[in-house]
Amino acid sequence: MNESMLFLIAFILYILSAFFYFIFLFSKKGSFAKKGYWTIIIALISHTVAMVLRIFESGHAPFTNMYESLSFLSWSAAFAYLFIERKFKIRKAGPYFMVIVIGLMALASSPLMPKEATPLVPALQSYWLWLHVSVTLFGEAFFAIAFVTSIMYLAEKYKEKKGKISPSGLTAEKLDSISYRSVGIGLPIFTLGGLVFGMVWAYKAWGSYWSWDPKEVWSLITWFVFAIYLHTRLVMGWRGKKSAIIAIIGFLAALFTYFGVNYLLSGLHSYT
Amino acid sequence: MKSLIKFFSSVKLAIVLLIIITSASILGTLVPQGRSAAEYAARYGQMSDLMIRIEVTRLYQSWWYIGLLLMFSMNTIVCTLMRLPPKLKKAFQPVLEFEQKKLRSLKIKDQLETNETVEHTKERVKTALFSRRYRIKESTKKSYFFIFAQKKRLGIFGSDVVHLGLLIILAGGIISGMAGFRTTLSIKEGQTLPVPNEDFSLRLDKFETEYYANGSVKDWKSTLTVIDNDKEALSKVVEVNHPLTYKGVVFYQSSYGLHWDNPLVEIHVTDKNDASISEYITLKIGDTAVFSNQRLELHAMSFIPDFVLNERNEVVTRSLEPNNPAVFIKVVKERKEIFSGWLFAKYPDFARMHSQKETGLSFNLANFKAGQYSGIQIARDPGVSLIWAGCIFLMLGFFIAFYWIPSEIRVIIEEQKGRTRIILGGSASKKTESFKQEFEKIIEFIRK
Repeated sequence: MNESMLFLIAFILYILSAFFYFIFLFSKKGSFAKKGYWTIIIALISHTVAMVLRIFESGHAPFTNMYESLSFLSWSAAFAYLFIERKFKIRKAGPYFMVIVIGLMALASSPLMPKEATPLVPALQSYWLWLHVSVTLFGEAFFAIAFVTSIMYLAEKYKEKKGKISPSGLTAEKLDSISYRSVGIGLPIFTLGGLVFGMVWAYKAWGSYWSWDPKEVWSLITWFVFAIYLHTRLVMGWRGKKSAIIAIIGFLAALFTYFGVNYLLSGLHSYT
Repeated sequence: MKSLIKFFSSVKLAIVLLIIITSASILGTLVPQGRSAAEYAARYGQMSDLMIRIEVTRLYQSWWYIGLLLMFSMNTIVCTLMRLPPKLKKAFQPVLEFEQKKLRSLKIKDQLETNETVEHTKERVKTALFSRRYRIKESTKKSYFFIFAQKKRLGIFGSDVVHLGLLIILAGGIISGMAGFRTTLSIKEGQTLPVPNEDFSLRLDKFETEYYANGSVKDWKSTLTVIDNDKEALSKVVEVNHPLTYKGVVFYQSSYGLHWDNPLVEIHVTDKNDASISEYITLKIGDTAVFSNQRLELHAMSFIPDFVLNERNEVVTRSLEPNNPAVFIKVVKERKEIFSGWLFAKYPDFARMHSQKETGLSFNLANFKAGQYSGIQIARDPGVSLIWAGCIFLMLGFFIAFYWIPSEIRVIIEEQKGRTRIILGGSASKKTESFKQEFEKIIEFIRK
């Protein structure tokens, strides 16, 4: 059993769990949702072992190239889903959310992503690499949940407009509230990992806590979008559709910070 | 003044400013920042003049971007302060009165009746609330008894703490920008340089580059010594991610490079007439080496990394890269100069022809090694401690805002036809589900 083998097993199990969840969605049989849930747990174990093996092989944190960080983001997303599912019972969101996990895993395993572990350049040799990257990605995983529940909210509202009322317990109102709660979990984690730990590390490594590097600016932009989300929601009382749209924009900004900046803009964060 | 305060107290203004600042920030990541005018002209053509004039090319330092940030902080200050007094009142001086009708209209409520006396019931309700760690204030009215219980009352200040953290961070940023100082020193091994704007100096004792097995750089290490008042005050190996701090000045490993002040050269000497002579002599430029049974002296006079003759036939270097390295040597035998000339590492035959003619000896520049300098970034940033303080407030505020949820329970106890009636109503700003459960537990406790 080596790392890529375990990664592949995790990938297949994620697909299997999505499959179970989709069966649940169409057959309405709760036993399939349970199967999906447990399949994610087994997939996560395999995925975790794969990452631990990679850490031992490379001798450094598993977030130094796109393959590694995408793999960790999928791991965080699956973990975040289990957490939210346990807490808020949103198994109807399972199939859609697993599609995101599978998409990230597929991207990680695509031949475009170099997989070999390369030795760390001097700037990355720091325990802040662990803290900064893992905490940020973990926060972004919760934005992904808010993204999925917001889209489901919009779909649910659209159905209601057409006169169809969803028979299951996951009403539009509940989706709206779960989306908000996910932002409530994700935003503090993202702020701590992305902005605070990022500033501390930048100060230690580059001698300046803020350099207006594109990645820094984009994480600030993501933060601003969620600030708009919170203020319109809590002070101005925006709920539902408008809130959902802002949460969707927030996740897309986070995604661009993570992904787009590396490929489209260059700066201090270009390591690979 | 009043209208100004009114202007800045609007949350709508905050939203508008956030949208403008966000859009401007995006623009700044699309236009490369801080490049030369020529580069902008090549990239954007006629637009470039306008872009430079409105400072899109150094957007984050432009007056209008900083102005937006200042306006936003003003907005944050006014908004936070305006909302603070009512919040303080709500948390610390709650109104000890509540109409029954209003109490009954709350979402989470219940009503009980018992045969116990009002006094007894009051104590029972208070014990129930205490057991769930509620803080209690009570008042006796004409016909009933009122209890106000609150828990985690500081929770309503979460957003204020976040705002405070942000303002501290912004203040730190302003101080960094205005009073911060940053420069880079290129320092050679053994060299001592004064630290700009400070009354101490910095010496580089040793600089080394470590490599991985595959040849990529693993680390740069500079052994630095701070010299203050002619005394060695502090010594540390500085590497990337491990800076040195002395009197508020931080020294970072930031770059490195080669210099050709006194490189090490290795010269290979052979004799056409005596095959047993084949010596490698290593010496620094400016030094003299004695060889071949003390009979010959070799002087390494000067070194050129990229040898070329200019139009006036002078020896100059074309670049700092070792593209055509050459060393000028003199060889002296019994106080008589027997050879002087340039040795080219890439053209060994050139010197051999010359030297053999005169001495039978042949000289060759076999190897050379440049000196290295270390690029040490020096920063004094008086704003940085405010930044960390602000970050702590920011995170603390987030925690309070999302996870320290205040809740309130109001109770009216009154006598009703010989029985005692208890009406309870509760509210929590968030997490109403878990508050509902707690509310039910309290009711259960009272019922027992």
